[in-house]
Amino acid sequence: MALAFLDRDRSIAPAGYSRWLVPPAALAIHLSIGQVYSFSVFKNPLLALHAADGSAWNLKEIGYIFSIAIAFLGISAALFGAWLEKAGPRRAMFYAAISFGAGFIIASLGASTHQLALIYLGYGVVGGVGLGLGYISPVSTLIKWFPDRPGLATGLAIMGFGGGAMIGGPLASNLMAHFKAAGQPSIPYTMATMGVLYFIFMMFGVFTIRVPPTGWKPEGWVPKVNHSALISSHNVAVTEAWKTPQFWLLWVMLFVNVTAGIGILEQAAPMIQDLFKGQISPVAAVGFVGILSIFNMAGRFLWASVSDFIGRKGTYFTFFVLGSILYFFLPFSRQDKINSVPLFVAIAALVISMYGGGFATIPAYLKDLFGGFNVSAIHGRLLTAWSAAGIIGPLIVNGILDHYVENHMNKQEAYPLILHIMCGLLVVGFLANLMVRPVAEKFWLKDQNVVVPDGPAH
Amino acid sequence: MAESTTKKSSPLLIAAAWIVVIIPTAWGLDYTVKNALKIFAKPTAAPVVQTK
Repeated sequence: MALAFLDRDRSIAPAGYSRWLVPPAALAIHLSIGQVYSFSVFKNPLLALHAADGSAWNLKEIGYIFSIAIAFLGISAALFGAWLEKAGPRRAMFYAAISFGAGFIIASLGASTHQLALIYLGYGVVGGVGLGLGYISPVSTLIKWFPDRPGLATGLAIMGFGGGAMIGGPLASNLMAHFKAAGQPSIPYTMATMGVLYFIFMMFGVFTIRVPPTGWKPEGWVPKVNHSALISSHNVAVTEAWKTPQFWLLWVMLFVNVTAGIGILEQAAPMIQDLFKGQISPVAAVGFVGILSIFNMAGRFLWASVSDFIGRKGTYFTFFVLGSILYFFLPFSRQDKINSVPLFVAIAALVISMYGGGFATIPAYLKDLFGGFNVSAIHGRLLTAWSAAGIIGPLIVNGILDHYVENHMNKQEAYPLILHIMCGLLVVGFLANLMVRPVAEKFWLKDQNVVVPDGPAH
Repeated sequence: MAESTTKKSSPLLIAAAWIVVIIPTAWGLDYTVKNALKIFAKPTAAPVVQTK
């Protein structure tokens, strides 16, 4: 069969295969799908598009494109996680490449014919499925290749998702400028070109990814005998995992961490301009968003790597304690208080590094608690917390801002309230993390003992 | 009987795989850093803030 090369059996690494070939494969996928974070570059060009009858879309209608994509990311990750465990990462990455690429092509047709429903279907639904499949596909494979450093391995891949916006944003801007200068329809051509480019780039990941042979261990690596009670030597099936309190505690932790991050990311550019009136130009505000992207990406790798040494629970403890303190003090750096742009930028950047770190550390936390057997599937279900935060976060932020604007109140005063609500949410996350205990024996998968991964004391 | 010698992945192949993902990342990072530095540039013709 033509697609037999996608089978898990055909992607087992031969003896001598270097595990350092696997992170680039994972990065190719995550750098591509991370483009979704830069979707806002299409907002103004889409607003400027007019149908034959002169009608145009509004900001709210265009905003739904991103929301649908993120919702389908969570839904598809939850639905296809268990299938991915059986089908293997190569097949999942292949379908992710097709979906993500096809999503762009369908959306380009929608832009070309001025049919918003086609863009919702293409970029939102089809592309969103590609996002979900692509996001979870390399995670368990990386954990199996790096049992000695699961945080570093997943951090590397998920860092790519944060970095994807840094490529997707300028790529889209440059392509639109190029097609516009050439007198061609800029958005449809840009979307179609990006669909093809991302498909090719993701196929590099498809062809490079390999799963380790059964029982493979890094050369010279001996699992530690003494390890934290939170690092399980047993597996838990996905069907049991979501019945455990640990799953829901981690769900709450991811949810509050993402919601808090969205509190800044959702309004980053207008927020800094409102808090420092007259001091920050629109161009500088875009620069601020750029700084946040860099720290979002770097935090994924750095915090996840640190978690290999201080433990997952210790890492989240840092996120929630340091995070809540920083969220509390962030508004005080504004113009009518301390009036320090560098202080505001530094605090926001550190906070966003922990937002990214939360995403990157969660797969290793799941692996510690539930074992590696179904980690992709469990991770997939946990990502519904992201979808929920993607809806609730903007609702809180925009709801409060709208309330201030509608009631002719000083908008500048809305931000401290928003940031202090986020601070409160992080306290909830802190309590959830504190309650995480080893998974009870009744949930263990029988006769599926695994090699205990290396890990720090939590 | 299985062959005892195993062919290890070439370091060149590993380097090439990393280059494939590092090049676009470096391009995006360069573009982003250049934009990000604008936040520390002095604003041109900043409007006067009215204080009561």
